[in-house]
Amino acid sequence: MGEIKPDILQRALQREKAARKQAEGILEDKSRELYNVAQELKTVNEQLESVLAKKSSELQGMFHNLVDAYVLMKVNGDILEMNDAAKELFGYDPKNEKLNVISLIHKEDINYAMNSFQELVTEGFFTDYVARAVTKDNGVRIVHINGSVIKDKNNEVIAAQGIVRDITSQIEAQQLKEELLRNLEQSNKELNDFAHVVSHDLKSPLRSMNALITWFKEDYEDKLDEGAMKSFDSLLNKIEKMDHMIDGILSYSSIDKNEKEKQKVNLNKIVSDILEMIFIPETFSVNIHDMLPVVMGDKFRFQQLFQNIISNAIKYNDKEKGVLDIKCREIGGFWEFTLADNGPGIPKAYHRKIFEIFQTAQDKTKSTGIGLSIVKKIVNMYGGEVQVSSEENKGTTFLFTLKKTSK
Amino acid sequence: MRNLKILLIEDDEIERMKFTRVLKKNNYACKLEEATNGEEAVEILEDETKTPDLILLDLNMPKMNGIEFLKSLKSNSQLKYVPVIILSTSNNHQDLKRCYEEGIAGYLVKPLKYEDYVEKIKALIEYWGKNELISV
Repeated sequence: MGEIKPDILQRALQREKAARKQAEGILEDKSRELYNVAQELKTVNEQLESVLAKKSSELQGMFHNLVDAYVLMKVNGDILEMNDAAKELFGYDPKNEKLNVISLIHKEDINYAMNSFQELVTEGFFTDYVARAVTKDNGVRIVHINGSVIKDKNNEVIAAQGIVRDITSQIEAQQLKEELLRNLEQSNKELNDFAHVVSHDLKSPLRSMNALITWFKEDYEDKLDEGAMKSFDSLLNKIEKMDHMIDGILSYSSIDKNEKEKQKVNLNKIVSDILEMIFIPETFSVNIHDMLPVVMGDKFRFQQLFQNIISNAIKYNDKEKGVLDIKCREIGGFWEFTLADNGPGIPKAYHRKIFEIFQTAQDKTKSTGIGLSIVKKIVNMYGGEVQVSSEENKGTTFLFTLKKTSK
Repeated sequence: MRNLKILLIEDDEIERMKFTRVLKKNNYACKLEEATNGEEAVEILEDETKTPDLILLDLNMPKMNGIEFLKSLKSNSQLKYVPVIILSTSNNHQDLKRCYEEGIAGYLVKPLKYEDYVEKIKALIEYWGKNELISV
């Protein structure tokens, strides 16, 4: 048994050879696979690198191009980086000098800043922080800051970044605007009070004058001749005229008053109320041809608007049969009203003037020259325009628009 | 018709003359007290024998004005039922509302013309002369 048979050896050798060859083949395959994987990895890596480079340069670009100031700081407040806008705003360059965020905060706002910083660390961000910042040359700017934290891969906060916007001029402009508005309101109110006080104070002596003259007439009736009586009567007329003018000033100034809450106003009712209220001679007819709309606004103003035109039409009419035609139609976003009478008409030269205060086309004894200026003021107030067309001796047409309001 | 005891609170002398003239010309036998502002009126009202049936009150007066007087009157349990009629220049909605809120029995706007004034005051006297009034 000590002798090895050569053919067995031969077979064993052959088996071993075959196994090695097989192993070599497997190895070769694996190497090829490995090579392929390595190649793929290389491409992916290259791609990743280029993406990273792209992102970095994008970030860098944003950092530089950001109009707002950008500040990056350590958790302890030491400033790491500032973009150009930040350097310009604060006056510091953290590359050249050591800087902590505390020195940028106005000392009266320190508490607020600390609270906000705490919020930043716990929440991860804060928005709409507004406070005063101090610049290197001790200037004070009002800034708006949105901030967020930067974490490492273990979720540890390693830095904080903030976008800082200088809103000083915006705030100042806002304050200026508010102040102007307050002043305007104040002087409007004063003017209004003034108009009221003056009007009432002026009316009181007129009443006294009227009483005293009337008593004079009553008490000395048998001693006064016709001429004296006539003089007293014209004196009373003048007093009455002056009283009307004061009423006019009063209502002209009242329409400027703060508008009452807007309410639905039915113009059909407004006009029919006016027609019941004012004196209309039997020879005069008012024809309403269309349904009038319901509009939004102050009832009193619409009443003044229509009453001024309607009563003018009646007061100045010189025809045997006086007529006033009222029409209304819708044009785009507006209501258009026409009130046409057959009165004496208004000479063209006055068409512009009649809407100015204290201007009248008529003889001064009948008119105060305030009514149509009120009409214009109210129409303009409701986003409309008013115009007049007239032919002498044939009549006058007032046309005005009122802007439709959304209900 | 009852002979009314009237307290007229009015700072304008001519206005007071107008009122007395209407009483005289129409032979109204009213007993009239006059005050030129709220303070004077309060003094008059301290005398119980002078408690009026009717108070006519101007709004715009020096020292104590009409609204202030009205407030003090309404807080006085002895006098709060005395009807107060406002005689004022103002027909301003705000003024009217303030007066009615305090509690008034009427509000007359002083007309420009004396004849119109006579009409209003005559109607006022006739109406209140026929009213039932209470005294506390």
